[in-house]
Amino acid sequence: MTSLATTPPRRRPRRSQKTSRLVVGLLRHTLLIVLSLIVLVPIVYMFFASFKSVADFFGNPYGLPKEWHWDNYTRAWEEAHVSITLPNTVFVTACSVIGSTALAALIAYGISRREKPFAIGLYTLFVSGLLVPVNMIILPLFVLLKWLGLFGTLFALILPYIALGLPLGVLILAPLAATIPRDLVSAAEVDGATQWQIFWRIVLPLMKPGLISTAILNGVWMWNEFFIPLIVAFKPESQTMPVGIVAFIGSYSTEWGLVFASVVIATAPVILAYLLITRQFQSGLTAGAIKG
Amino acid sequence: MAELVTGAKPIMARPRSHRGGGRNTRKYGHLWFVAPGLIFFVAFMIYPAIFAVYVSMTGWTGLGNDFPFVGFDNFIQALGTWPLYRAAINNGIMFICILLFQHTVGLFIAVQLNTKPKFMEFYRAILFMPVIISLIATGFIWTLMLSPHIGFINPVLKSIGLGFLAKNWLSDPNLALGTVIFVSCWNALGWSIIIYLAGMQNIPEELTQAAQIDGASAWQTFWRVTFPLLWPSFTSLTILTFIGSFRAFDVVYVLTGPIGSPAYRTDILGTLIYRTAFGGTGQTSVDIRMSLGIAMALIVFVVMLIIAAVLIRVLRSREVDA
Repeated sequence: MTSLATTPPRRRPRRSQKTSRLVVGLLRHTLLIVLSLIVLVPIVYMFFASFKSVADFFGNPYGLPKEWHWDNYTRAWEEAHVSITLPNTVFVTACSVIGSTALAALIAYGISRREKPFAIGLYTLFVSGLLVPVNMIILPLFVLLKWLGLFGTLFALILPYIALGLPLGVLILAPLAATIPRDLVSAAEVDGATQWQIFWRIVLPLMKPGLISTAILNGVWMWNEFFIPLIVAFKPESQTMPVGIVAFIGSYSTEWGLVFASVVIATAPVILAYLLITRQFQSGLTAGAIKG
Repeated sequence: MAELVTGAKPIMARPRSHRGGGRNTRKYGHLWFVAPGLIFFVAFMIYPAIFAVYVSMTGWTGLGNDFPFVGFDNFIQALGTWPLYRAAINNGIMFICILLFQHTVGLFIAVQLNTKPKFMEFYRAILFMPVIISLIATGFIWTLMLSPHIGFINPVLKSIGLGFLAKNWLSDPNLALGTVIFVSCWNALGWSIIIYLAGMQNIPEELTQAAQIDGASAWQTFWRVTFPLLWPSFTSLTILTFIGSFRAFDVVYVLTGPIGSPAYRTDILGTLIYRTAFGGTGQTSVDIRMSLGIAMALIVFVVMLIIAAVLIRVLRSREVDA
């Protein structure tokens, strides 16, 4: 597997194998470094921009900040309502991730025996939810939330997120639950364990990798989700960060430093979590993508 | 409500217990595990979806309780006017371009990474990073990068003597859609890399080695052995890109605004439906046609469903077993 699949075939391998391998390696690293820069430069640039004053943006567009305006962050905290929308985002994401992962795990176990009545039908029903576009159901959702008296609270986001997170959760967890050996379950039944105990003590631990995938996949989506709060949350008190930033732009369109300070605050937690557990993020997101 | 449902789980699960189980509990007991999730699902997805179908056949504006039944008028109007097609064409262009990008650049990089060069983990971590960054943040980053006056690209181009390349990336009618596509590609590149890489790692090395021993060149080995085995990755990525590009909204909303400026050149289905149903900038409440917007969303949903089903069927039929 050391040879590079897309390089032209080497006709005379003996003579210059070493040099050509070196050249190919060099080209490959150049390409990867250039692409990494295309990814990194905008992110780093945004980070520096978050410390700039408005004048600095115009006078010194691509250099480092002339003066490091840490007060962009303190001002964003107050004026861009980050002090409200950041805790909101954490709370909404945490509740929705826990809620939808737990419910999806229960469903997955409930339908894990295909011969049970409705098992396949329920699986199809939940998974087909993946195809329902949010913009189609958002208005009835709006009406329903108003009727439930949840309008203007964070539950107006949490409850739809839990429901919208279920299809992916079921998609990932149901096949996992189905692979759990039946002997294990019947042995526990013989020993007198209740179904609840079986679920909690045997099934849940065995589904752990899938639970992590589901949580990451849904968590990233819920943290970043923009459309639902755009429609149902008008005040900072009920907004999450993405929509909070957009709302702030609407009222202070020239305060770029503050905008980017907010964007950095909204993005940093996800990037940090990603850098800490890169593997789980990549495998978790891929698990959902390949099945989806 | 969340607490209520979760708190009820142990109690709900108990009737299925083996000791107390009658025949019915043994047969239907598993449904207790499904019930809490199903309640959420019905309340926040199925009911709204059914309600949406009903609303699409009324003249509801979104306010008040006036639901005059109009039959299929909304659908006829949506399908009989140009904006829906214009937006769909823009989505289609986005889809094709991003798809080509994913299956060429993305695949090529995945192949490079699969040779396990030094710092492979580092490259992969960096190149995948934009996937986890929200499209809102991505949009802001690139609004700034591409801004004609305060940005990064144009001043840099000017300072290295390539000032003639500096363009109004987001307001030039001929460039705006391309710019939106570029930004989407920047955000989505990681998907193709990670999906193809996962696919390649599932291919047994003996297969490629055997081909090479038989005298196949690296190029032949890739196209005759590796690539056919990557069809499942190709399928997943194509479907993912299809759904992603026809559901796009955030990136256009931030880069060129809800009216898809300039002159609707970047107007896509997401922004069109948003504007029709909820009113964008520069529209009065009279223009808001909630039911028309929902009818458009339903049309898009059904058409996407059909295309996705056909795509999956066609692509799956070409998959081979390793």
